[in-house]
Amino acid sequence: MSQPLADGVGVARAEHFESIAQQRAAATLGIWAWLITELLLFSALFLVALITRIQHPEATVAAAKHLKFWIGATNTVVLICSSLTMSMAIEFSRMGWQRAMVRAMLATAALGGLFLVLKGYEYYADWDEHMMPFLSSRPFALAETPAARLFVNLYYVATLLHALHLFTGIALLLGMTWMAAKAGFLARHQNWIEIYGLYWHFIDLVWILAFPILYVVNR
Amino acid sequence: MRNPLAALRADDRAQLRKRLRTPVLTFLALLALLAVNVTLGATLPFAQVWIVELGVVAVMVALILLVSMEVIHEPPLIRLFSGLGFFWVAILFGMTLTDYLAR
Repeated sequence: MSQPLADGVGVARAEHFESIAQQRAAATLGIWAWLITELLLFSALFLVALITRIQHPEATVAAAKHLKFWIGATNTVVLICSSLTMSMAIEFSRMGWQRAMVRAMLATAALGGLFLVLKGYEYYADWDEHMMPFLSSRPFALAETPAARLFVNLYYVATLLHALHLFTGIALLLGMTWMAAKAGFLARHQNWIEIYGLYWHFIDLVWILAFPILYVVNR
Repeated sequence: MRNPLAALRADDRAQLRKRLRTPVLTFLALLALLAVNVTLGATLPFAQVWIVELGVVAVMVALILLVSMEVIHEPPLIRLFSGLGFFWVAILFGMTLTDYLAR
């Protein structure tokens, strides 16, 4: 925690912790332990993308040229904006500015929703261009380069998994916003906002890696 | 529409500026780095541009980890945990690429 807490803001100690400091550190360590497993999950997918590029450079470049570069770039901007609003929510929680915190959390959820809408449009454009090789009813546009199928399938696995994390994150965020809007929340559970913020920043970090690895370096 | 900042006292405004300085600067730095990568990706100025692009990504990841996720302010055990994750990723990439690049 980088900034001090305002008066009346803090954490209610659970009986199995010796101190509030220990409780806060345990919660932060717990979310980091989980984020590390998530990091390894996504890293394995990015590694496969790299190997696909090494093994089949022409097919990977041909497939990557069909990706919607500008939608991907716009979505990166959207997630960077959402990271800012999440950081603002954390700072407002530390300052005890509950209403501002709730608004920042809602803005974060809205930006997450905008990301999913743009991603959905991107998938629709891919469908329209016959770039869904797993659909037997629509012939794959790059059927003459079979290795392209590997990269495109990997693209869907990685981006759908990220979208699933984002969707879950939005649902959790809206639920927590509902709780955080109640009187006394910041006096008992301020660190929930910080812990959740770590998850949201991590989703942002994964996309910061996914955009260049899938869209940019294969052009 | 009423400007909500106008209702703030001078000390509140000063506190707000102080607290939001780091997140806003991080946000601007991330946007600037993304702009570099998007420009490089759109123009492809030279063959080995991917090295620069991955370097820019590494800086963006470090910014998010250290500043946005506040690892820099965490106690040593949590810093160790966050670092260990990337150490394991380095082992994963290192051992796999040793095979593929040496074939």
